[in-house]
Amino acid sequence: MSKNIEVSTNEKTYFLEALKSGIRLDSRAFDEIRQPEITLSKKEYGYVELDWGTTKLAVRVSAEIRKPYEDRPFEGLFMINCEISSMSWPHFDNQKNSNDEVLIARIIEKAIRRSNSLDLESLCIIAGEKVWCITVDLNFLNYDGNFIDAGCFGVMLALHHFKKPDISIVNGGEDIIVHDVNERQPVPLSVLHVPVCLTYSFYNPGNKESNLKGEDDDEIYLLDANLLEEQNREGSIVITLNKNRELIQLSKNGGIPINANVLLELSFKSMKIVDRLTEKIKEVIKKHEAERYEELNLRLLEVGADR
Amino acid sequence: MELYSPEGLRLDGRRWNEIRNFECRINTHPNSSDGSSYIEQGNTKVICMVQGPMEPTLRSQANANKATIEVNLAVANFSTLERKKRSKSEKRMVEMKTTLERTFEQSVMCNLYPRTVIQIDLHVLSQDGGLLAGLTNAITLALIDAGVAMYDYVAAITAGLHDQSPLLDLNGLEELDMSTLTIGVIGKSEKLSLLMLEDKIPLDRLESVLAIAIAGSHKIRDLMDNEVRRHGNIRSSKLVNN
Amino acid sequence: MTFQVRTSLLENVDGSAELQIGNTKVITSVTGPIEPKARQDLPNQASLEIVIRPAVDLASTREKLLEDKLRSLLQSIIVRYKYPRQLIQIVVQFLVSDTSSEGEIDYTSNELNAAINCCYFALIDAGVALSASFASLSISLNDGKATYNPSLVDLNKSDSHHVICFNIVKGKADKILLLESQGDIEEEELFTMISNAVSECEVIHQQQRKFIKEKVDNDYVWKQ
Repeated sequence: MSKNIEVSTNEKTYFLEALKSGIRLDSRAFDEIRQPEITLSKKEYGYVELDWGTTKLAVRVSAEIRKPYEDRPFEGLFMINCEISSMSWPHFDNQKNSNDEVLIARIIEKAIRRSNSLDLESLCIIAGEKVWCITVDLNFLNYDGNFIDAGCFGVMLALHHFKKPDISIVNGGEDIIVHDVNERQPVPLSVLHVPVCLTYSFYNPGNKESNLKGEDDDEIYLLDANLLEEQNREGSIVITLNKNRELIQLSKNGGIPINANVLLELSFKSMKIVDRLTEKIKEVIKKHEAERYEELNLRLLEVGADR
Repeated sequence: MELYSPEGLRLDGRRWNEIRNFECRINTHPNSSDGSSYIEQGNTKVICMVQGPMEPTLRSQANANKATIEVNLAVANFSTLERKKRSKSEKRMVEMKTTLERTFEQSVMCNLYPRTVIQIDLHVLSQDGGLLAGLTNAITLALIDAGVAMYDYVAAITAGLHDQSPLLDLNGLEELDMSTLTIGVIGKSEKLSLLMLEDKIPLDRLESVLAIAIAGSHKIRDLMDNEVRRHGNIRSSKLVNN
Repeated sequence: MTFQVRTSLLENVDGSAELQIGNTKVITSVTGPIEPKARQDLPNQASLEIVIRPAVDLASTREKLLEDKLRSLLQSIIVRYKYPRQLIQIVVQFLVSDTSSEGEIDYTSNELNAAINCCYFALIDAGVALSASFASLSISLNDGKATYNPSLVDLNKSDSHHVICFNIVKGKADKILLLESQGDIEEEELFTMISNAVSECEVIHQQQRKFIKEKVDNDYVWKQ
């Protein structure tokens, strides 16, 4: 297999003609996402493997205690590491970050970190001295389009799945004891809202000039493009919403111009899918918790301690 | 310090739908570039210089069917209130650079200049809100000055949401405090080429913010068009007619 | 002692394998032979690009050291003269591994062991020519008593820990390809450990053979 294989003209034409006739090559509807398959780790907290169609990724959340930033003594630290290796697609370079990689990392960061989806103040242990530093590592294993949506979903899942060790402060704030997970029940993170990213890809069946100058809006847009669809697309937009009907971020990094009406329509349509995906996260976590509870027979050992 | 007083006045005395002082000049660097422009949107000052279409320095950049657009963004260390060293490979810079490249790949008639590169150099002298918008406008003007064939102007502006009211063309202080939407509009149409929203807004308010932003972009486009025509008239009047 | 392995998981690369051994889970992808970059081009043999990514955080010098060790092993075992002026790209991604807490030693032996065994399956899946099979084993010695594939607890109690890799010819361990040792060990102890490791590695190889036989049977099911 070669590194920079271009899509053949034949394949490209076939794909575009199919789109014009209303057919998507993997027989999904134009506004249908692929169903994610989730594997939550039973042994440790904060490790999730996600299969978004054939796009595969693994997300890991870890926590350690550090000194906070000087200008923000009451807030914990939160970092998202999102490096793409050539394992997912030989086209990605191991050494330097291509423009696409930077865009993916920026959008995920804007959607999750900048929007304060994790309550940083709850990560504070001793103000100005010790806070929790939560690190999220996103490892992309296989690329079949749409790392952004899958990545964001995976990170939110992992943040819900993760539990940090319980701590006690002794000696009037001098020392902190970090309790082992077997000693005391670990504590879940405080997630304020769940951002969900949706990427729409645009295709122009007509010619460029009529798209730019004309009033006709016959651009075709697809939700959740796979690799072939991404390679042939002429523009894309990432819409990030949460369940509270808040628009977290919008990114259209150039690409073919779209009509403002279309943008509004897409944003409203996306709400249903966002609701469904947010529900799915809550459902999966709840089910997993119940299974864990059963396994550990915690009912017998439960002390009614409220944190 | 209220960003938007009950009487409807902002910090700098503007109303909700007024743009900042917009000054632009083209052909500011006739000797060092094929096309150049200088834009001031309030206190945001940007210089843009275009070289090309020309032979690419790297063979790999030559695309057999169309021109390659290369944007270099240099933000001066003194451009913000506090002097801060910025690296070119900072993620935010790379994101802006890529966005600009992809935006203009659409509005420039690239297929007329195959196997060439159009190099766009941007210098930010002062930042006071609306950086991406200022850069877009500067590039549009510089490309027109260079004589590169384009379908239409790309005019950009920012708009934000303060409580329930949309505000047009945010300055630096306003940007820090409220969510900002930057859009780039093609000419007089309602087609959006560039779109960036980085902080939360309620979904139901998007329409009002978008509407005022599009209207603002059309105004900017008119101002840019006036300058292009003015400059064109001056130059044609210098031609000796026999 | 036993490991679980799956191959052919990734689509965009030529070969891939996922291996779980003890508390270490690793996925390896192999792409090649492919076009190298100009600086990687070697005139009469294949060049290897080996990248190791840790389970947590970004890659650091620790991963560079592991890459170096893996390279010394793979350089000799892959028949590089068969693919002149080509590149073989190997990416090792750790998904789960034992993490030591602050103040404790950071053990890399389990990771190195898992990476080597996983590379074997990934290279076979990719169809890259190997001069012989190879199997690796992670050992910890505590008071002369050897524990194979030790857990983090075992490693903390051990006097020394080792990773040993043999190449396998005709089902028998032939030469030592890699021997990494850390800790205090007597000469006698070392040689005893190596002799015992021979039979253990042969057992691992039998498991490798079994898996590969099943894999080939599955791949050629259309021929039956």
